[in-house]
Amino acid sequence: MGKIIAIHSYKGGTGKTLFSVNLATTIALKGKKACLLDMDFRAPSLHAILKIKNIECWLNDYLNGTCPIEKVLVELPEMSNGGGKFLIGLANPSTEAIRDMSAKDRKWEMRALGRILSLRNSILDEMGIDYLIFDTSPGLQYSSINAIVSADIVFVISTVDTSDVQGTRRMLTELYDLFEKKTYMILNKVLIDINSKHGKEELSEKLGNTHTLPIFEIVPCFCDILKAGGNYIVAKEKPDHFFSKVLIRMTEKLEHL
Amino acid sequence: MKKRDFSTKKSLLILEKIKENLEKLNQKMEVMIELQKHGKTSTESFTDVTAPLDVMTLLSMPDHLRKTAITVCRLGRATAEEVAQQTKRARAVESAYLNQLVLMGYLKKERQGRKAYFYVDKENKE
Repeated sequence: MGKIIAIHSYKGGTGKTLFSVNLATTIALKGKKACLLDMDFRAPSLHAILKIKNIECWLNDYLNGTCPIEKVLVELPEMSNGGGKFLIGLANPSTEAIRDMSAKDRKWEMRALGRILSLRNSILDEMGIDYLIFDTSPGLQYSSINAIVSADIVFVISTVDTSDVQGTRRMLTELYDLFEKKTYMILNKVLIDINSKHGKEELSEKLGNTHTLPIFEIVPCFCDILKAGGNYIVAKEKPDHFFSKVLIRMTEKLEHL
Repeated sequence: MKKRDFSTKKSLLILEKIKENLEKLNQKMEVMIELQKHGKTSTESFTDVTAPLDVMTLLSMPDHLRKTAITVCRLGRATAEEVAQQTKRARAVESAYLNQLVLMGYLKKERQGRKAYFYVDKENKE
């Protein structure tokens, strides 16, 4: 049975989209079926990273009830290997669409929640997808919470920045716990050598009580990835990169969650 | 022998009927308690009012009701029995929570024969 994963964060710029794209790619390259949905309706970015044009239907249309999910999804055969599949559903990046999505009322959001919940049936059960990944917008946005409610697993990406860690701690108790979600934290862009004793102490000092945090992975900051500025997919173009290896480890752990 | 079988069957039927009536009574009491909490009389029930069951509403709900409400959102339309199977709580408990959610205007209730179905009214007018 497939799993739904929501990738979320308290603040912006933590690396949610980088993780989402590379996680979906790693899954598809391993020969499994992945579907990635851009749920960041305020700042859509997957269309630019994956350089996709000529979209017939956007995720916005699906949530508005004007287009079936099958028409939203685009297959990217170059992103998969031996039996694997990579499907993507994009958010409309036009200013008009962003404005329209931010002006929705509570009744629309209620219907949107119903439509997102029904993706378990249409994408996982009917299309046989192994992992459905939601790339969400940061903080307490309607679209992000809708995605979290619908997910089985939540990966919350945080840097070691004090305000980010504090905000993530709050969301753990005031959001994910309330919805009884399996939540795991990924510390990203870490500039501390966690293999040394001094580094471990420095990290504990920055994070506070680390025992209360469900840390899944600690990922160092890679200058080459930052420099690339999202121009290539690390997991596909550089399979031997340390970041790609972290993702392979993550997918292996995911199977047992 | 046959006479004894018949009387056992009859007793079971009576017990079943008593159980059913007790459950109905329990539901009615829940409704009365809820009406009293909201300072309303039974004649001005607020079951006709529909409040949107969005995620922010779910977040502000007490834990026990949130669990029931999310389960109905997931199932689309369900009986108390079906909700209880998902939440691993007793059917009577779920029945009470579902009726509370109906009273609060978040869910709709529809009877089909002996079964009561609960659902989120997504078609309510803007």
